[in-house]
Amino acid sequence: MEFSFMYKEGGAHPDEQKGFTDSKPIIDASVPKLMAYPIAMHIGAPAAPIVEVGDQVKVGQMIAKEGGFVSAHVYSSVSGEVVAIEKRAQAGGGEVDSIIVKNDYAYTRAEPIVKPGYSSETSNKEIIDTIRKAGIVGMGGASFPAAVKLAPPEEAKIDTIILNGAECEPYSTSDHRVMLEYTDEIIKGIDIVSQLYPDLKNIYIGIEDNKKDVKEVLEKATAANKKVAVQTLKAMYPQGSEKNLIKSLTGREVQPGELPADVHVILLNVSSARAVYHACELGEPLIERVISVSGAPVKNPQNLKVRIGTPMESVIDDCEGFSEIPGKVLSGGPMMGGAVGDLSVPISKGMTAISVLTRKEAQIEEPENCIMCSECLHVCPVSLQPILISEAFERGDIEKAEKLGAMDCIECGNCSFICPSKIPLLENIRGAKAAIQARQEG
Amino acid sequence: MENSVDMKKAQNKLQVGPSPHIRTRRTTKSMMIEMLIALVPPIIAASYFFGWWVFVQLAVASGVAVLSEYAFQKMTHRKVTIKDCSALVTGTLLGLSFPVTAPLWVVTVTSIFAIVVVKQWNAGLGNGGIGRNYLNPAVTARVCAKIFFTPFFTDWVLPTGFSAGPYGGVDAVSSSTPLEFIGHGAQSVSNQVPALRELFLGVNLGGNIGETSKLAILIGMLYLIFRRIISPKIPLLFIGSTVLVMCFWGSFDLEFMLTHALTGTLFFGATYMATDYSSGALTPAGKTVFAIGGGVLTALLRLVFDYPGGLGIAIIIMNICAPFIDQKLMPRIYGHKKRPNVKFDRQNPNQL
Ligand code: SF4
Ligand code: SF4
Repeated sequence: MEFSFMYKEGGAHPDEQKGFTDSKPIIDASVPKLMAYPIAMHIGAPAAPIVEVGDQVKVGQMIAKEGGFVSAHVYSSVSGEVVAIEKRAQAGGGEVDSIIVKNDYAYTRAEPIVKPGYSSETSNKEIIDTIRKAGIVGMGGASFPAAVKLAPPEEAKIDTIILNGAECEPYSTSDHRVMLEYTDEIIKGIDIVSQLYPDLKNIYIGIEDNKKDVKEVLEKATAANKKVAVQTLKAMYPQGSEKNLIKSLTGREVQPGELPADVHVILLNVSSARAVYHACELGEPLIERVISVSGAPVKNPQNLKVRIGTPMESVIDDCEGFSEIPGKVLSGGPMMGGAVGDLSVPISKGMTAISVLTRKEAQIEEPENCIMCSECLHVCPVSLQPILISEAFERGDIEKAEKLGAMDCIECGNCSFICPSKIPLLENIRGAKAAIQARQEG
Repeated sequence: MENSVDMKKAQNKLQVGPSPHIRTRRTTKSMMIEMLIALVPPIIAASYFFGWWVFVQLAVASGVAVLSEYAFQKMTHRKVTIKDCSALVTGTLLGLSFPVTAPLWVVTVTSIFAIVVVKQWNAGLGNGGIGRNYLNPAVTARVCAKIFFTPFFTDWVLPTGFSAGPYGGVDAVSSSTPLEFIGHGAQSVSNQVPALRELFLGVNLGGNIGETSKLAILIGMLYLIFRRIISPKIPLLFIGSTVLVMCFWGSFDLEFMLTHALTGTLFFGATYMATDYSSGALTPAGKTVFAIGGGVLTALLRLVFDYPGGLGIAIIIMNICAPFIDQKLMPRIYGHKKRPNVKFDRQNPNQL
C-alpha cells in the first residue's frame, strides 16, 4: 500500500516482494540430464553451431561461434554428447535453434579460454578479446554483448563506470545475493574493466537504499580504492534502468539515439563484472549465473547458481515445485519480464530471475475510461505523457505519437502498472513505436 | 514431490501476455471512494452545525446525480458508468456547496445540470463523460445556480445544532456571510467579522454547509494528500497564492490575510474542486500554473471586482485555460532539449 507524503515523480512503487529470497544464500542448482543452449541468448546476430549431433563436448567447450561483431559465443556447461540441434521454445517467446547436450555427469573440463591468471600487464586488447571469447553479455537482462559495449571508440573518453546493483524489479534478488556473497569477485572484475579507460575518474556502485547489508560489505571491500563510491539510491522502479541510473549518479542525460558512452559512461551489471573476473582471471567462459526463483506459488523460493542451459522446470523442481497452479511464470520480473508459456525454456545468460505470479496476481482487469488522474505522467521515468501517446495511437495519429516522444519510451511498464483505469498504455505505445518504425522504413 | 502441483498441469494453465504483468490495486472506483471518505469530515461538521437536514440535502444531491447519469447514458445508448462512483462524488460535492436553506428542487435541478450538461454533454464543447469534461461539473453547476436562483441564496442561516429541522427560509435567523463584510474592496477586517478561531472551526458561521469548518476540510485535504489522490501542489498553491495576494493588498495585515484565507469557499474549493482531474491541468508544471492562477484570480475577483463568490468563477476560468496551459507546459522528455510541440487535445478516440 502506498502511503507517502511526497508526490514522487519519475518512478513507481510496486510491492517489492523481495522477502521471499533476499536472505537466502545462493545454493547450487541441480543439473538435469538434458541441457539446451539457444544460439541466440544475446542481442545481435545469432551464434553459429560448431558441433554436430553425436559430438562429445566438455564443460566450457565452445559449441556455437559468434555470428558477427555484435554477437556472442555459446559454451556448453556440462560434458556429454550433442544429441540434437533443433528449434526449441525460448524465454523471449518464439523458437530458436538450440543445441541439446546429454549430460554424462563426468564434468570433464575443456581447456581454459585464456591462460589463467590476470596481470595488470595484460593489454586492453587482450582484456576485450578475453571478454569476447568468454561470450559475456549484459547479465542484468539487456543481454548486449559485453565486448562491444566495453570497447567504445576512443573519443568517448569514458570517465565514469557505473556498476549497476540497483535491482529494482520486484522479486529479483540475484544481484543482491551476488553482491553479498561474491563481493571480491565483483570488485576484481571492476578493477579489470577500469584498466581499460585512461580518463577514468569515478566508479559508482549504484544500489538501492533497501539493501543496507550490501552497502556495508561493498564499502568495506572498496575502502582502499579512492575512485570507487558506493551510492545509495531511493528504492524505486525503474531505478536500475540505464538512463535513470546515469541521471541519478552523474546528472547527465543520454540524448535520443545516443549510447551511455556518448556521455562518457560505461554501465556494467554486477553479475557481468563477476563474469569478467572469471574470464580474465580464471579463463572460464560464461557458463553459469545466479538467478532468483520467487513468488507466492513457489514452494521454497531460492537463489540458485545455475548452469546456463538448464531448463526452467529443473530449477523450479529445485525449489520443490509449485504449491498452487500459477498464473504466470516470468523470465525476469513482473514489470519488464516476459511471460513464459513453456517450462522447458532454458536459463539463458541474461535471465536474472524467475518470478511466479498467482492466478489472482496475474489477473488484469478490463480497461475503463481514462479519468485524467495524471498518475501515468508522474511515474514515467523519461517524462512522457503516456496517455496522450496511447490515445494518439488509438486514433491512428502516428505522427502525433511520434512528436509526443513514443520512441523515447524505455518500456519500463510503469504507466500501465499505475493506471487506475487499467488502460494498456504500454501496449499502445509499443503499437505506436512499431508503426513509427514501419513508416520510417518504408 | 508431495502435495506439489503437477508440473504438466501447471504448464497447461500458464497465461502469457505483454509486460507489465502486475497492476496497482487502485481502481477508478477506489479513488472515487477515497474522495468520498475525504468528504466525511466536512459532512460530519455540516450536520453538527446545521442539523440532520443536511443528510436529506446530500441524499437528494447525490441521488439525483447518479440517477441522471444513469438515465442520460441509457437514453443516449452509452455504457452506463455509475458504478465508478464519480457521479456520486460530484453529487456529494454539490450538495455540500449549498446553504442549508436551499430548496430541494434547486438542489435537484442543479445536480441534473452538473451531470447532464457539464459532465456528460461537456457543455457542448466535445465528447463528455468521465475524464473528458472541460469544466468542473460541481463548480459550474453551482455558479449557474447562483446566477439563476439568486433569491434562494440570500438567506444565510446561522447554525443551530444537529436537531434543527428543515429551514423555512423566511423565519430562520438569517445573516450575511463574513465574506460580504470584507468583500467590498476592503483592506482591513471590519469588526463584524467573526474571530479567526471561529472561522477556522466553523462555529457560529453561516454559509454553504460543507465549507464552514476549515478544520474538517483540512483533515480531508491531508487524507487526500497522504493517500496520493490529489497532488499537494494544488490546494497548497491555490490557497497560498490567494493569501499572498491578500497579504499585499492588506499591506501585510496578518488578520486581514487570514480572514480571507478562512472565509468563503477557498478551502473547500481548493481542496475538492480545483483538484478535479478532468477539468484541471494534466502536466506537472501545468498543475502549478493552474493552482497559482486559480488562487490569484480568486483573490482578484474578491477584491477588484467586488465579487465574493470569486472562487467558482476563478476555477471555471482556469478550467477553460487548462488545455492551453498543458499544451505550453508539456514536460521536457529525458534527453531532449525542448518540450514537445504538439496540439493538446483530450477527445476520446473511441467516440470520434
Ligand atoms: S494513469 Fe490512467 S487514468 Fe490516469 S491519466 Fe494516465 S491513462 Fe488516464
Ligand atoms: S511511457 Fe514508457 S517509459 Fe514512460 S512509464 Fe510508460 S513504459 Fe515507462
